Amino acid sequence: MRRQVTALLWRAVLAVALVCGIGLLPWLTRTDPALTVLKARSADRDPTPEVLADIRARLGLDQGPFHLLGQWLGGLGHGDAGRSWLNGTEVTPAVLQALGVSLLLMAVALVAAAVTATLVCARTLWLGARRGLHGRRAGGGGSAVLAALPEFLTASVLATVVGVHLGWLPALGWYGPEWTVLPALALGLPAGAVLGRLLDDLLPGAFTEPWALAADARGVPGRRIARQSVRRCLPGLLPNLGLFVVGLTGGAVAVEQIFDIPGLGRTTLQAALAQDLPVLQAGTLTLLLLAATAAGLAALATHRLTGPALRDGALSSLHRPAPPARRTLPLVYGGLLLAVVALGLPRDPLALDTTARLQAPSGTHPFGTDALGRDVLARVSHGALDTLLLAAAISAAALLTGVLLGLLPRVSGPLVDTVNAVPPVLLALLVTAVAGSGTATPALAVGAVAWAPLAAHTAALLRQERAALHLTATRGLGASRAYLLRHELLPAVLPPVTRHALLRLPGIALALASLAFLGLGAQPPSPEWGLLLAENQPYAERAPWAVLAPAAVLALLGAFAVSAAGGVRWRGRRPRRRTPATAVELPSRTPELVGTP
Amino acid sequence: MTTVRRRHILGSLLLAPLLTACFASGGGDSAGDAKDGTRLRVALAFPPAENLSPYGADATILSRLGVTEGLTALDANGAAAPALAASWRRENDRTWLFTLREATFQDGSEVTPKAVAAALTHATEAKPAPAALAGVTLTAQAAGTAVRITTGAPDPVLPLRLSSPSLGVLSPKAYDAKGAADPVGTATGPFELTKVNGSTSATLARFDDYWDGRAQASGVDVRFIADGTARASALRTGEVDVAEAVPVAQAATLDKNTRKETATTRTTSLLLNARSGPFKDPGLRAAARAAVDTSALAQGVYEGHADPGAGIYGPALTWAEGKRQQPAGRAKAGAPNGARITLATYDNRPELPEVAQVLKQQLEKAGFKVALEVREYSRLESDALEGKFDAFVLARNTLVDTGDPVAVLAGDYTCDGGFNIAQLCDKDVDGAVAKAEGIADTAKRQDAAMTAEAAILGTDAVVPLVHQRIITGVGGSVSGVLLDPYERTLLGTGTRR
Repeated sequence: MRRQVTALLWRAVLAVALVCGIGLLPWLTRTDPALTVLKARSADRDPTPEVLADIRARLGLDQGPFHLLGQWLGGLGHGDAGRSWLNGTEVTPAVLQALGVSLLLMAVALVAAAVTATLVCARTLWLGARRGLHGRRAGGGGSAVLAALPEFLTASVLATVVGVHLGWLPALGWYGPEWTVLPALALGLPAGAVLGRLLDDLLPGAFTEPWALAADARGVPGRRIARQSVRRCLPGLLPNLGLFVVGLTGGAVAVEQIFDIPGLGRTTLQAALAQDLPVLQAGTLTLLLLAATAAGLAALATHRLTGPALRDGALSSLHRPAPPARRTLPLVYGGLLLAVVALGLPRDPLALDTTARLQAPSGTHPFGTDALGRDVLARVSHGALDTLLLAAAISAAALLTGVLLGLLPRVSGPLVDTVNAVPPVLLALLVTAVAGSGTATPALAVGAVAWAPLAAHTAALLRQERAALHLTATRGLGASRAYLLRHELLPAVLPPVTRHALLRLPGIALALASLAFLGLGAQPPSPEWGLLLAENQPYAERAPWAVLAPAAVLALLGAFAVSAAGGVRWRGRRPRRRTPATAVELPSRTPELVGTP
Repeated sequence: MTTVRRRHILGSLLLAPLLTACFASGGGDSAGDAKDGTRLRVALAFPPAENLSPYGADATILSRLGVTEGLTALDANGAAAPALAASWRRENDRTWLFTLREATFQDGSEVTPKAVAAALTHATEAKPAPAALAGVTLTAQAAGTAVRITTGAPDPVLPLRLSSPSLGVLSPKAYDAKGAADPVGTATGPFELTKVNGSTSATLARFDDYWDGRAQASGVDVRFIADGTARASALRTGEVDVAEAVPVAQAATLDKNTRKETATTRTTSLLLNARSGPFKDPGLRAAARAAVDTSALAQGVYEGHADPGAGIYGPALTWAEGKRQQPAGRAKAGAPNGARITLATYDNRPELPEVAQVLKQQLEKAGFKVALEVREYSRLESDALEGKFDAFVLARNTLVDTGDPVAVLAGDYTCDGGFNIAQLCDKDVDGAVAKAEGIADTAKRQDAAMTAEAAILGTDAVVPLVHQRIITGVGGSVSGVLLDPYERTLLGTGTRR
């Protein structure tokens, strides 16, 4: 009980800090809200001192941030979140309406994600149900490619191909169920691929647990064992699922724009750019509440699924000695990636020739040219180093932070939810407010969110691992906490979390590029990959190669990272015990072995 | 099992209304009586930012949709034409008399001089003041069948000023005690606003008692679609009949017959910082001007949907070309010798970063070292106004809200100008602009404006790059769309499908 109260308090402290941070944002970044509001209302209007003074007087800006904040918080008590600075409408109904739209979109996207995740795990489930997993290595190239797909690219392709050319489903608007399909797919495919990968990572462990062996020995149908295995693995994923729920609700800006959906993502983006603080505060607070609810539901579901076992420490470790990773697949992916980079290096990524724009791939331009007639192959290749180094560095930092904070779930849990719920643009603005607009700011802004899913994953896995029987045994033998951490917990948790981090590497490259419009990060004409995707997106239909090439290398990077990560293991914990003759792999370090067939 | 199913049915019954609340409300029923004209479906680019307040930028939306009208309008030559005022005359330096025509407000009341005077008075009291009234004091009074307007200082362009969409006339019912104005059902145009769904859509009905005859379309369903690609798709899938402002990148995806191009008053220029940095030297400014190849931009970036820059005023101002004077007193081009410059622009208009990249190459060929800075406009403007960049690519509407060509020169290129990104402060320019500002006669004012333009171009602080054309997507069966270089009209009484 006391624990819950502390967690609740911590959550509240974070929420208050965030709302206050937003309230002070214009004063911290020294960006006059009167100016941004004016520009959002009318881009053509000249910012004369009289006009700005009028707006300031209207909004009461002269009274200072604290007065405004106090006023807003005061109104919040009776459900009044003030009036928008931009257009004077009441904030509460507007935000609730946008939230409704976004929640619906998210719900349908989750269905799409569930289907995708099922497809990703289908092979493992099929083999597992037939006890044929032994010795098979994880696939995952396909899901990694899906996970690396930028949402806006999927969205534009779906809108153009399915919506406009085939005319099967409406390409834009939000007027009824048939309008939900395409946007949900665009959001659900990458999310489902990530979740499916994470699940696929855990499933083999569940299939080799004693109960599964016993059930199989008793002749329980494989289908049921498979279903129970999924159930067994879900608690490790639920926190991440919760993060996706919140992330898709507030962060689906690109998809909302392409399909013209009046959701919360666009509302908060517009409010963040215009510094329409009442809307921004209300939107963020709503997302925080949603995040808290999602986290609560995830905890409840975990409890329902594995509660007694968690309490009694009667779980077995889902971590199992992995079979040696495939050697060839990462070599193929990595080789391809290297080949593309090597081929393009001698070419000039900046030489533009407007007479040769949007040319299809040919001998002279193997990947075609972009809107300014630049060679796409050269740009992809020259952008590789910058993109990869920065993304890899951020990923590494995020992994370290994520694992460290994941070890302290009570501190990090609410922090993870909070950080994840904040719209990325707002977070970038907040980071800029604190760190200034230096060269490290975009990396900081992206890194500030990137650790969150990793921490959630670590915490969820740790919780299960701590409840494993072999830990009780080791503890009984007198092992210290440090020993347990070093020799039992980290070895079990690190490999899947690292694979998770690698899976998100392409996403980090994309996130970096999405901040460019704030003047953060790479500026044109730099061939950074995210920037390549963004600048060629308007031409996606006329010159698909210009977006497909960077998307393909990004996907290749994802596939390479994941297939190579199959080999991520804890050095000191090589597979030791294997029953050589049987087709069954025994779970490591489980004291009692239940009937082997 | 049955209980579960029953619970499901119950659940979905409860969910249904909840779900409908989560969808956007549509633009309305688009079926119409064939005899009575069909409804038009229009996609506009800029969602209302201020709930369609008539005093801000949303006024343009109202004017384009044929909802509001002012006392005057702009004709094709940029001169004031009669609208709600049938005629006008200048009584003395500061007083004008506008005689009204017989018209009715959409709420049924008559357009009386008193109502018009009250509407204008409300506009002068709005905070912030409408752009067309910036820096102007004005009082309006009813005088018989006319409205007498007195300005604080002599205002030779008052009839032009009154054509601004932000000075549209609404019935007395539109104004509340706080000074806010509601254009729903209170304007005088051929179409009446009946419903506004936030910033997603709006519904218009035909106003049968319009003074200039009944509109052919029975109503309009408006959707506000900010994304250019989405607007183009809406037209291609037949979801809308007219799509405003199709981006250049999407133009090629549209059928040639559906693509209507209009020259606009928007000029994209390269502004060179004449106060500090390398471009303080007129020789380097001249070198930069000489290095720029505008036809590469018009063809290469705008794909021919723009005209190469000829001056500050583009071909949309039809009088400008014939009156253009050669810039005199230009400096001789100096040698850049690797001078480092920052070139800034914004990405709200997707073509501008491309223009900047092409310029970068052209300038580097001439010997400059160029660093680009691309941001969202509102994060860039104050730095630009403070002169933090050496060069700036700006797309500027040269006719601003007043419809007066001189206003943009005064604002952008004089020492006291409020929007002087080029940081230009030149005696000759100031003199030429001041002279133009004092002339009332339209033709002579235009002549003086062209003299001032030549003086400004002579300093090389501004290099006109391209004059944009706006591309309006018009479905095959639609006719009578009003393609307006001043971007103030779109739908009129003759628009139908």
